[in-house]
Amino acid sequence: MAEYETFIGLEIHIQLLTETKIFCGCKSKFGDEPNSNVCPVCLGYPGVLPALNEEAVRLSYIVCRAMNCRLSENAMFERKNYFYPDLTKNYQITQFSNPFGRGGAFEYESGDEIKKINFHEIHLEEDAGKMIHQGGKSLCDYNRAGTCLLEIVTEPEFKTGQEAEDFLQAFRRTVRHLGVCDGNMEEGSLRCDANISINTPGMGLGRKVEVKNLNSSRFVKKALGYERKRQEKVISSGGIIVQETRLWDEDRSVTRSMRSKEQAHDYRYFPEPDLPPFRPDKNFFAMIENSLVELPLTRRQRLVECLKLTPDQADYICEEKALADFFEKTVGLGADPQLSVKWLMGNAAKELNRTGFQKADLGSEGCPLSAERLTELLMMLADNKIHGKIAAKTLTAVFDENKNPAAIIKENGWENAADDGDLKVIVQKILDENPKAVEQIKGGDEKPRGFIVGKVMAATKGTANPQSVQSLIMKLTS
Amino acid sequence: MIKIKDWRSYISSIREKDKDINSFLEFADDTSAGTGLISGETLLSRETLLSRVPFGVKDNIAVTGMRLTCGSKMLENFVSPYDATAVAKLKAAGAVPAGKTNLDEFGMGSSTDNSALAVTNNPWDLSRVCGGSSGGSAAAVAAGLVPFALGTDTGGSVRQPASFCGVYGLKPTYGVVSRFGLVAYASSLEVCGIIADTVETTREVFNIIKGKDGNDQTSVEHLPASPEAESIAVLSGELGLSSEVMAGYQKAVDGFKASGYGIIEVELPMLEYGIAAYYTIAMAEASANLARYNGVRYGHRSASAEGFDDLVRKSRDEGFGDEVKLRILLGTYVLRSGFQDQYYTRAQKIRTAVRNEFDKVFGRADLMMMPTFPTAAFRHGNSGLDQFQQKLADKFTVAANLAGIPALSIPVSVENGLPVGMQLMAPVFAEERLFAAADKLALQLPPAVCPGKMEGF
Repeated sequence: MAEYETFIGLEIHIQLLTETKIFCGCKSKFGDEPNSNVCPVCLGYPGVLPALNEEAVRLSYIVCRAMNCRLSENAMFERKNYFYPDLTKNYQITQFSNPFGRGGAFEYESGDEIKKINFHEIHLEEDAGKMIHQGGKSLCDYNRAGTCLLEIVTEPEFKTGQEAEDFLQAFRRTVRHLGVCDGNMEEGSLRCDANISINTPGMGLGRKVEVKNLNSSRFVKKALGYERKRQEKVISSGGIIVQETRLWDEDRSVTRSMRSKEQAHDYRYFPEPDLPPFRPDKNFFAMIENSLVELPLTRRQRLVECLKLTPDQADYICEEKALADFFEKTVGLGADPQLSVKWLMGNAAKELNRTGFQKADLGSEGCPLSAERLTELLMMLADNKIHGKIAAKTLTAVFDENKNPAAIIKENGWENAADDGDLKVIVQKILDENPKAVEQIKGGDEKPRGFIVGKVMAATKGTANPQSVQSLIMKLTS
Repeated sequence: MIKIKDWRSYISSIREKDKDINSFLEFADDTSAGTGLISGETLLSRETLLSRVPFGVKDNIAVTGMRLTCGSKMLENFVSPYDATAVAKLKAAGAVPAGKTNLDEFGMGSSTDNSALAVTNNPWDLSRVCGGSSGGSAAAVAAGLVPFALGTDTGGSVRQPASFCGVYGLKPTYGVVSRFGLVAYASSLEVCGIIADTVETTREVFNIIKGKDGNDQTSVEHLPASPEAESIAVLSGELGLSSEVMAGYQKAVDGFKASGYGIIEVELPMLEYGIAAYYTIAMAEASANLARYNGVRYGHRSASAEGFDDLVRKSRDEGFGDEVKLRILLGTYVLRSGFQDQYYTRAQKIRTAVRNEFDKVFGRADLMMMPTFPTAAFRHGNSGLDQFQQKLADKFTVAANLAGIPALSIPVSVENGLPVGMQLMAPVFAEERLFAAADKLALQLPPAVCPGKMEGF
């Protein structure tokens, strides 16, 4: 038994996928020319006022609902006061006393177990700008200032870094499924801070340390693992944990002290007088209910149970909502689930990659492969109208020519070489032309078989079903 | 209302007239944007009530291309890239900003002497203050430079200078006029108001600038309450007024009686706590509202600073005046964690109590009348009221801001050469009731005209 009990909590920030910023009409877009998506409102000019983005509120409530939070019927905004160059008003509009969501819980897979994490709260706030330090100068890019940021705070209930990482991955999948965030940790659209404390079992929470700079879910596990060992060492040697914020240094795989809590700010929260409380009505809550989708974990279980996918197949399919939707649509249209999943994991994935599409593009208008087209192709394959190689060729052509598979096959005369009667004649002809090979085959040498198959394929321009050719060779040489 | 034909000669004549008064910080032709506004091409061609009518804009309200100094060194050279909603609505109605008027720095004061940029004199007596914080607007209207001007009223800043200068000053219902483009001092208390030389002009301008605005989510649609009124409540007991104001008060009571209103005496015990609650809330909000002025993106930037913290400290130290610093410090103090219940939260409770008392009063009477300020215009400098006395004297005006109700300061008399104003208060949305009563009173007590007032151009 471990000498100490560990308590880990996460604070996750997600950038919501809204067209515009939280309080103004500026585009919510990164990577543009610095300070190009700005206006008097997000720059905090004198006299401007915030106008709350309704879409940001809707997406926030969807997340709160999906996390099973108690949804606020009287949500408030507060000002959090501190001076920092990337904060244009020198206060951040956030939620403090009445956030959109409180409580709630979420189930996720860790190892072979389904585990549950409880939430403290979920609130909406504005993001700050970005500081760029170069050549001894500090520059500010305010394109990010005022973009929509949703903060999700868990209870300190994770026992290991592994649990925290597993949760974070499941959470990321979920917000992508919900369509509220792209979940890109490298680009910072999903950011995670952790807090960790250890204590003698039964003694409750220890003195907590915050760990920042966790730019990938892998870092979460590593940093927390390191931090737990560090704290154990301190306590075991009779020391005291300093309540502080530490930064994860990925290069050296250590956490470093950033600032101690003693110098902590008094943020002087008070109600934001420029925004009235948000009091949603029945219609709003009904709209939120209607916006809910099946979450990845539930969907995965259903695909395994009802469509008999293997757990690995189901994981793959459920990673992206668009992919899962696409898959289920092909099944609905009559495709065999196993055939569909194999093609999605194999050739379709290859083609998407080759043509520069993402799995998330499946089912979108710009993507040549629709669920209807894949189903059409898979059903021709299943009905033995074409064989696998032709199907692969056809799929390539679907992407290149943006046409229906049946049309491509017909145009190219790729249907399986007529019936067995025609094929038999062709095979017999090839065999007659190659008596030496026939003799070898009859003598038990398997090698020339491939040679004969190749000849037949050439003669039929690839439309012959290789398996049929094989069995005809067997029959005709025995 | 005056309609200007020759804008260049109009601006040059008000510039000349304003030399003694100093009500304007900037005239339209000082900038190319302003010159554009008064040049023939941009003027509204169709004839409307306000077409070619000039107006003053308090310099904490944004007009595109004009400066937005807030009477502060901090923003002395700041040019607004946008129009306040009220300004945009007036422009669309054909009115033309003639310039920006002086004010107490960021609206903090009752004399306009807290402006870091100019001293404005009362056109009735140049040795006296014009009141504040919308003092420039009131002085400009009293002197006849403009028929009306926009002001802002956080705790009496439209009504008090209106009473000092003998003109009308309307503080509308909170939220009825958009605050977008009004540089925030105390967001939950303030509203864009109107200073004008007649009730008719006040009403016309109010009807143009009112209404819900998508840029201000605290704004509301104006749902006019009944203009009918039969009774007016007044405070019982000793009011602590100067003899001039007392004389005006009596004349106003008599005038309303003669106009057919019944006078009902009421008590407002919470009024005694109004000042404390008002300043606690206003300063708390101000401490956050003024945090954005840090020398980074615009405004005064200290030349000698090294590093961010030093830049903020020095820029703010050099850019803000003493009264502004005092209010930021006090606001920061009352918001400290652990002290909010004692100050900020308690102030909000008093605010609710004040609102409840007004509800009771308006259950008994249709309107309420109070003095606007306990004294007439005081002298510049030390012989006048000191800063603390000025704050205590806001007692009658802050009540309407705490309650969010409309109030109109009406010029009722001239005593010893100085105008005296009374404010009439009404339930929310009952602005029309205020105008109707002011019209009736004007028949009994016609407003006096400021000596030397400009007439016609």
